[in-house]
Amino acid sequence: MSPLGDILTIQLVLATLRLATPIALIALGETFSERAGIINVGVEGTAVLGALVTALVSYFTGSPWIALIAAMVAGGLAGALHAVWCIRFQANHVVSGIGINILVAGLALFITSSVWGWRGTSASAPMISTWYITTAAFLIIFASQVFMFRTKWGLRLRVVGEKPEAADTAGIDVHRTRYIYTILNGVLCGLAGAFFFNSVGRFTSGMVGGRGFIGIAAMVIGNYSPIGGLGAALLFGFIDALQMRLQSYIPSQFSIMLPYLITVIALAFFIRKANVPAALGKHYVKQ
Amino acid sequence: MKRSALLLKGSSLAHELGITALSILLAFGISAFIIWAAGFSVSAVFINLWKGAFGGKLALGSTLTKSTPIILTSLSFLFAFRAGLFNIGAEGQLYIGAIVAAVVGAYLNLPVGLHVFVCLLAAGLAGAFWGWIPGYLRAKRGVNEFVSTMMLSYVAIGFTDYLVAPRGPLHDAKYWANQTARIASTAALPRIMRPTQVSVALIIAVFFAFVVWYYLFRTPAGYELRSVGLSPPAAEYGGIRIERKLILALSIAGLLAGLAGAGEVLGTHFRFIGRFSPGYGWDGIAGGLIARAHPIGAIFAALLMGALRAGGMQVQRSGAAPGDIAAVIQGLVIFFIIAPTLIRVLIRWRKR
Repeated sequence: MSPLGDILTIQLVLATLRLATPIALIALGETFSERAGIINVGVEGTAVLGALVTALVSYFTGSPWIALIAAMVAGGLAGALHAVWCIRFQANHVVSGIGINILVAGLALFITSSVWGWRGTSASAPMISTWYITTAAFLIIFASQVFMFRTKWGLRLRVVGEKPEAADTAGIDVHRTRYIYTILNGVLCGLAGAFFFNSVGRFTSGMVGGRGFIGIAAMVIGNYSPIGGLGAALLFGFIDALQMRLQSYIPSQFSIMLPYLITVIALAFFIRKANVPAALGKHYVKQ
Repeated sequence: MKRSALLLKGSSLAHELGITALSILLAFGISAFIIWAAGFSVSAVFINLWKGAFGGKLALGSTLTKSTPIILTSLSFLFAFRAGLFNIGAEGQLYIGAIVAAVVGAYLNLPVGLHVFVCLLAAGLAGAFWGWIPGYLRAKRGVNEFVSTMMLSYVAIGFTDYLVAPRGPLHDAKYWANQTARIASTAALPRIMRPTQVSVALIIAVFFAFVVWYYLFRTPAGYELRSVGLSPPAAEYGGIRIERKLILALSIAGLLAGLAGAGEVLGTHFRFIGRFSPGYGWDGIAGGLIARAHPIGAIFAALLMGALRAGGMQVQRSGAAPGDIAAVIQGLVIFFIIAPTLIRVLIRWRKR
């Protein structure tokens, strides 16, 4: 059989859908919070936290479903922390996100060492099929598209990120809206983290490996819409699936860097700045 | 976006130092709680942390060795930050500088003195090139440099690892490990605190802290760079060519990180080893933030990072707790330092 026929199979399509899932979830979460005006580059760390909490809870309770919920709660808490820092303490959004990433990276090593005695790796624990999460992700993304552009709540969300003064005048609570959607972003990243755990059944500190940042890239390429983000995530999922297949043909160090290289190239060519929320990253002080 | 939020507006140096000190204290306090909650001895951890970082000549040498690259990566982060950019890719730029330093050091025959200089120059330029790419993409195509520098880090780490892997072109056939041949003795930076690994790289790093300070705060070009960071529209109105400043800022950031990699190869390991950096590039982000983007402050922030790394290893060896508690402390310090109004709010609560 020719190498090409070996690579392009139905398995590749399924792998694309599977690998696109966490990227699509993170892109969706970031779309929500950035539409409300809050940049969160801590999505990478939040996903790591989600994966770690899934491993901890699944290991100690034996229930991967409770672990799934716990991951979303932990992600939501990380989102809340980011929101408090950005809104209440007026931290620079990007800097606060970096803080989350560094703090979680440290915690992940410390906790795995303390609990399992291995640096950055958990013991294996009960898992669920990732297809549950993939299916849920697609449903959530399509629902979000309708929510964001066809409902009054979606309109309110977009006004808060676009013209917070106008939103305020119209009686929308700007800060509360931003808290809600930044927490929602965290919940979705926590779910993405649970995906990473459930794809192998244990936690390793490198398992997210920059896919949080690729999620942000997917949001940018998808032009701040849930469906657009999904489209870009599918592209990255395909690249990821392809690189795994290519490992038997080219040195693994090469194929491993492929998704990151493609992300930079994709950003350079697909960039559109049309839908960047006008008040993105700005602190809103009520007059 | 206002980057100035990190640099407290209109506050004195003493005030900023006070807030920084309080943030560090607060971080240690919360870490103590975490250590206690995880069931370890707080005093044993802190004693070993101190012993590993400053208890004797070997410990101090370990701290200084680890601080050296972090000074340069901190400068790398803050230089771009001053121009309003986030260079999250110092880790990759460090690897690119390191591999070039190793190649020039191992395969070029040059006299003593000149050889080291050529190695440093080549490494700096290679790092600058790796920073130029995201700078160009940002200036010309509007590509978010936060994502692109991060992605290019992964590319650099993978690519250099491929070069020195057993099937790669730069692999040293004498050993099984992913590494290059040893550099020539003419390319090595002298050790200055035997038997520790502290080398002239430390002096170079401190020197560059002063160079960056001078450039940013004492030259017109540095003033222009900072004004781009503070307010791009005002800078453009003032006749500054913003695109060129953005590209320059990320290129220089790459150069500084590239030098960090060169220092590791020429002063510590004497060869390039695949994935050798324990995260000095990421530490630079922390260092730059803790220094509140001040070049001289970066020396002390890097010293804190290096001390935490050296101390963390001693905590691990002593068995008091996992050494990674140092990374947790680092994360907490950043978290308190980056919220300008947090400490003020806390102080106000106490007064009430």
